[in-house]
Parts: sequence; structure tokens; C-alpha cells
Amino acid sequence: MGMIYIMLTVSLLIALFFLVSFFWATKSGQFDDDYAPSVRILFDDEIKNKSNTTTDGSTEI
Amino acid sequence: MSEDCYHCGDKIQGRGIHFDDKDFCCIGCKNVYQLLSNSALGQFYQLEKGAGQKPQAGTLEKYAFLEVEKIRAKYIDFEDDTHARVTLFLPQIHCSSCIYLLENISRIDSRIRSCQVNFAKREAVIHFNKEIKLSELAHLLEQIGYTPNFGDRKTTEKKKDRSALYKLGFAGFAFGSIMLWSFPEYLGVEKDNPEFRAFTSYLSLVVSLPVFFYSASDYFKSAYKALKYKSLNLDVPITIGILALYCQSLYSIFINAGPGYMDSFAGFIFFLLIGKWFQSKTYQSLSFERDYKAYFPVAVTRQLPNSEEIVEIEEIHMNDLLLIRNDEVIPCDCILESEHARIDYSFVTGESEHIAKKKGDFIYAGGKLIGQRTAFKVVKESDRSHLTSLWNEVRSEKENTDRSAYQDKMSVYFLAALLIIAAAASVVWFFIDASRVMEIAVAVLIVACPCALALSAPFTYGNTMRLLGRKGLYLKNTSVIERLNTVTDIVFDKTGTLTSSSQYRVDYEGDHLSDHEKIALCSLANSSTHPLSRSIVRYFIEQQLIPSNDISDFEEITGKGLLGSFDGLKVQLGSSTFLGKPSNENIESSSHVRVGNKYGVFRFSSELRQGIEQLPKSLDRFTLHVISGDGEQDLELLKRIFPEGTQIHFRQTPEDKFRYIKALQMTKKKVLMIGDGLNDSGALGVADVGIAVSEEAFRFTPSSDAIIDAGSLTALKPLLDTSAFSKTILRVCLTFSLAYNFTGLSFALSGMLTPLVAAIIMPVSSITIVCISTFGVLLYGRYSRH
Repeated sequence: MGMIYIMLTVSLLIALFFLVSFFWATKSGQFDDDYAPSVRILFDDEIKNKSNTTTDGSTEI
Repeated sequence: MSEDCYHCGDKIQGRGIHFDDKDFCCIGCKNVYQLLSNSALGQFYQLEKGAGQKPQAGTLEKYAFLEVEKIRAKYIDFEDDTHARVTLFLPQIHCSSCIYLLENISRIDSRIRSCQVNFAKREAVIHFNKEIKLSELAHLLEQIGYTPNFGDRKTTEKKKDRSALYKLGFAGFAFGSIMLWSFPEYLGVEKDNPEFRAFTSYLSLVVSLPVFFYSASDYFKSAYKALKYKSLNLDVPITIGILALYCQSLYSIFINAGPGYMDSFAGFIFFLLIGKWFQSKTYQSLSFERDYKAYFPVAVTRQLPNSEEIVEIEEIHMNDLLLIRNDEVIPCDCILESEHARIDYSFVTGESEHIAKKKGDFIYAGGKLIGQRTAFKVVKESDRSHLTSLWNEVRSEKENTDRSAYQDKMSVYFLAALLIIAAAASVVWFFIDASRVMEIAVAVLIVACPCALALSAPFTYGNTMRLLGRKGLYLKNTSVIERLNTVTDIVFDKTGTLTSSSQYRVDYEGDHLSDHEKIALCSLANSSTHPLSRSIVRYFIEQQLIPSNDISDFEEITGKGLLGSFDGLKVQLGSSTFLGKPSNENIESSSHVRVGNKYGVFRFSSELRQGIEQLPKSLDRFTLHVISGDGEQDLELLKRIFPEGTQIHFRQTPEDKFRYIKALQMTKKKVLMIGDGLNDSGALGVADVGIAVSEEAFRFTPSSDAIIDAGSLTALKPLLDTSAFSKTILRVCLTFSLAYNFTGLSFALSGMLTPLVAAIIMPVSSITIVCISTFGVLLYGRYSRH
């Protein structure tokens, strides 16, 4: 039976961890703009591609 | 000829510019393309087709005010010896390509270190080396089509309010945790373990405290406010339910009878807050609150006895002498000091024809100067001018809330029924088992808490708002839907609303022109981007003539006209004075031409928007009105498309329009006003619902309740139908939520409402409501034939 007290405390701690993470994410402004980051990640780094094409002649898509 | 511009995606009118195997509609677009491809930013065009913004021809001078230390300091967020950071509001940001371009702007100018775009607020945070001046930075942005808006600073500087998310976080956390701990209780395991029961109960109590005191606080405040003003809203029964739930649970915890309804309580708040959050997710990136001052420059040049200085608008005083440059907006009511000036009032009236003024004429604020630098004497300070007074009059009158009037009305009946049932139950149970009266009464209050009812409106209206947004009608908030459904009268503005502000019907009068001369004229007009020139080009293309690019000695004199030669033939196009012909026409609705020794006049008249003819007939359940600032020349046209009995009024000043709407409202009509220019802003503000028409939803529009894409205006009827349909969905939701309440009541009245039953009914009812409202609206969107 003692086990369940530990389990409950652990579950509370885990939940608290997520609550704090959520607050941190909110505070740092992660939910202020939900569009720009989603597109930003898809932009290719074109300059790199260019140097690739000049060195080995292959084209990347 | 129907090619779209590779840069901005607009239809190329006339002969476009062919460059690098691509077609462009104007030199500006081509230049941006060149700049981008030279800076290895070609990916811009792969992300979204025709995403570019048409650049405006601007000069560095325009931003000179940014070098005035006092003004500059207002915009710079941070600076040290070598670099600085600035946050600029760029209203043109509208798609992923924009983000790509702006975030890679350092490739165009290496003096810019980095740029980060906030799409929702349409702001860019730019780090730059101090070698580049702020004014140069602004000019560069303007060149690539993103003109920074310095005037709207105050509205963008809203304090970030994230408390709603914190509240939601607490509630979700408590909901999950308490339900987990309550599981043994549901299974009946805890009865034999009083110690364990006490442990989970007090743990739940601790976790529920922030939910009660923080997350739920808005409901208590709102209910308190309503009671204080002796009125009722839906938050009153909600608060009663919450209090009953919480007190009953506290009692149960203190007598060590388990955690009571703590799980339902937390879940309840969690669902309510989700509903609120869903409702508040509106079109952040559209600006509905734009005050006319947002159109104005931040600073102007003031003439001192021996010098000039740049001052902020707020510092302008009576009798100051202002020097306004080409394309600058006149910030206050003035008197013209120079000999002549031409003013473009398109910001104010939606008319793109320029108005000629003479020395001593009175000039209203809001006009844009076309032509050379001109001196004006201030007669009214900026915040006391004509437009502001109209604006201020309207502003205070309209209350904008997310509250649903329909729901508030319902809550009165709800509360009455609730109290009667609770009282009746108490009396009945007094005779059955007097010791359980209290418990039963509390159970009734708990189960009757209108959680599902409270969720139905936010979800139904929220989904409807999204559906309308996809079809081109963007609402400011969900309460607009409710007001939209009560509309009895629709008032249209003519110019820019029924008629297109950039297209004209063209008629030619004068000497007969040969095909060769026509081509010469057409080619000349094709070299200009002025809307009237564009209309002339279209006029010739309809006659199967193709303009060529062989114009030599081309010159465009802003505010006057064009001249050039084609194949040895001298061609001139422009105002009568430009061609040396006397004219007493004040409003330029014509363009004079001279080809060789032949002379003629093009007359322009407004053209109805495409497909608008069918609109008035489809709106037969409303009373229609048309009010226009123009003269009566279009009466016949309007009479043809509007049904008999439509009231049509001409020569209406902005105040007339405002009063017209007010007068209609006095006769108990609910008015929907549809307009575009700033001259309609008073009327849009006072109407029950004001919809601003915009050729480009992300551009400037006057303050309004909603913005409609010009292209969607013809589909106004289905849009209104969609809005009306939300009422049906809402009724279905209400029926369901009441059904759940009755089910719960039957448990409560029979004395069988256990925490387990409450924990099941509450989420199930909420989820049903969310599903009905979401799918109902989605299915309507898919299967309605519009």
C-alpha cells in the first residue's frame, strides 16, 4: 500500500513538470505566433545547395 | 494577355514586361524580382505563387523623419555602439513567402544582421549594423514591397495577455491529476482505506485551489458584476453551479467522505476555458480597429522663418506652415498656400480621381498630395479635424464583447427553472427523508449547471466564423454573427463597394484616330501604372489592338499626365491643363489626348463590380438602400439592378451617411452597412454591423466589425445564410444540453447523483456539444452549394 503513495507523488511531480513547462513555453511567447515557426522550419538553406552544385555538379531538390 | 505577374500575381493588363523568361505587370515588380534573384532569394517564388507585393515608388526623403533623434528613439528597441534593434509593423506580411523573404533580408543588404517575423502581429524584429540608417532600412523594405507603418505603433503595442493560457493550464493540470487520483474512489477501493482516502482528498483540495481562485475567477467576477447591475447573464447560473460543486466537495473532504466532485469541478472549468479560448482565436492578423490616423504620416516638415524642421504630428499647431511632398498625406484640415495642388482623396472617399485645388481653398485632412512640394497652413490641429470628430462620435457608442445576448436571455429562464426545481425537490425530499434535503438540493444545483449550454455558443459561433473566413468574410469577433442574424436593412455604399475602384468604363470622344495612332496612344498608356491609363489600355485591347513597348522620350509627370513619342508621332495624355486646353472641370473624370495633331477626350465612368448585378435580387428578404457620395450620373445603372422601392441617395457627405443609418435605427431597424472608404467609417461604426469591403483583406480598411474580400461580395447572400444557419445549430446544441441537464436532474432528484455519475455526464455532454457544433458547421460548409 505504501507503494501507491509514492506512485501518486510521482504522478503529481510529472504533472507539475508538464505544467511548469507549459507556463515556461507560454511565457517565452511560443504560443503568440503559431504560423511563422511552422513555415520557417521548411525553408531550405539555399546557399548551401549552391555550393553543393558547384563542387560535385549534382543538383539537389 | 491573361498572364499573371510572376511577382505579385495580378493580372497583367496590356503588355507586360518580359524579363528572364517571366512576365511582370510593371517595372516595380520586375525590379523586386531582379533584386531577389540577384540575392539568391529565388525560393520566394517557389513557396507561393504570385506572393509578391507591388512595390510603391517611394523616396528616401519620405523617411527623413526617422533620423530626427527624438522620433528615432521611439522606434529603436535597443542599441549600442555598433548595432541596433527595431520592431517594425509591416502590414503587407501575408504568407509564407513573405516570412521567407523578410527573414533572409540580410542577403540583400549585409548591413542587416537578422530579421525575425511575428506573423500573427505582422511585425518584424530587425537587428542591424549602425552603418545602415533606420531611414535606409525603411526605404529598402518599401522597395521590396513591405512599406513599414510607423503610424500604427500604439495599436500594435498592446500588452501581451497570456493569462488565459495560464488559467487553462492550471485547470487542465488539476483536471487530469484529480481524475487520476479519484479512480480508486470510482472503483470503490478506497472505502476500506480511510487514510489513503484522506491523502487523495487533501491532495485534490490543494490542486483545486488555484483552479477555484485563479482559473474560475472570471466567471465569479462577471456574475458579480451582472448581479450588481441587477441583471442576469449566463455566468450567474454557472457560478451557482461552481459554488455548489466546490462547497459540497469541501464538505465531503472535511468529513473524510472522499474527494467529492473535485474532478468534475476541475473538468468543468477546463472545458469552459477551452470554449473561451476557442472563441477568442480570431483573425489577429487583420486589423479591425484601424483609426484613420493610422493612414497618416508620423511626422511632417514644418516651415520656420528661415529653415525647415521635421516635427511629429502631435506637435503641429494652428497656423503652422507645413510642407507636404508628393504622395504624402495631409494630416490636418488646412488651407492651401501654394498656387495649385492636386489632391487624391482615395483614402477618404474611395474615388481615385484627383481633385484640383486653388490657393486659399480649404482642404480636409486625409487627402494625399500629388505633384510638387506644396505649402499648407494648418487651421485645425490634427486631433480636432473633421474626420476625427466624426470618428470620436462613433467610437464610444458601440460595445464590442464576446457575450452572446441570446445566451444571456436564456439564462434568465434557466435560472428561474433551476431555482423552482431545487425548491420543489427540497420540499418533496423533506417528506421522504428530511436528512437528505440539503444533499439533494445541492445535487440539483450541481447537475443543472449549464456547462454544455455555455459551450454551445462559443463553439458554434467560433466554427461559423472560421467557415465565413474561408469564404472571404472575416469577422472581428463572434458576437458579430448574432448581430448579423438580426439584420433587417442593408445599406450599400456605391463607389468602391458596388463599383470597382480601379476599373472604369471608357468612352472616347474627339477626332477619329487611325489604327496606327491608336497603337501609339495605347503604347503610351501602357507605360504607366496609373489606374486610368490601365483602363485606357484595356479599352484598346478590347478592340484587338496590341500595345508595343517602342515608346521613346517617355515622361510621366505626376499629377498631370504622360508624354512620349511612338514611331515619330508625338503623343500626350493627361489633364486638360497639361495639354494646354482650358477647362473648368474640377473633378477629373476625363483624360485628354493629343496624337500628332489630333485631339480627343476619354471619359471614365464607374463600372459595376463583376457579378454584382445578381446580388440585390438575391437579397430580397432585406430592405436595401444605396448611399453615395457622388452625383446622380449612375442613377439609371443602379435602378436597373436594384429592385423597385430601393432607396437611393446621392451626394451624401460622411455625416449624412452616419445620420442616415442613425435615422434607420430610430425606426427599430437593424442595419448592415457595407462600405469601403474612410468616408464610410462613421456609418460603418454606427451600423449594427459594419462590413468594410477590401480588394486585399490584409491591406488598409476603415474600422469595422467585419472585412469582406471584394471578390466575395457577390456571394453575400450565401454568407448571410451561413451566418443564419449558425442559429439552427445553436438551437440543436441547446436542445442537447438541456437533455443532458434533465438526465442529470433525474439522477439528482432520485438521490443517486454520485461523483462518478457527475464525472461521466459532465465531459460527455461537453464533448457532444463540441462535436455537434463543429460537424454541423463543417457539413454545412461542405454541402451548401456555395
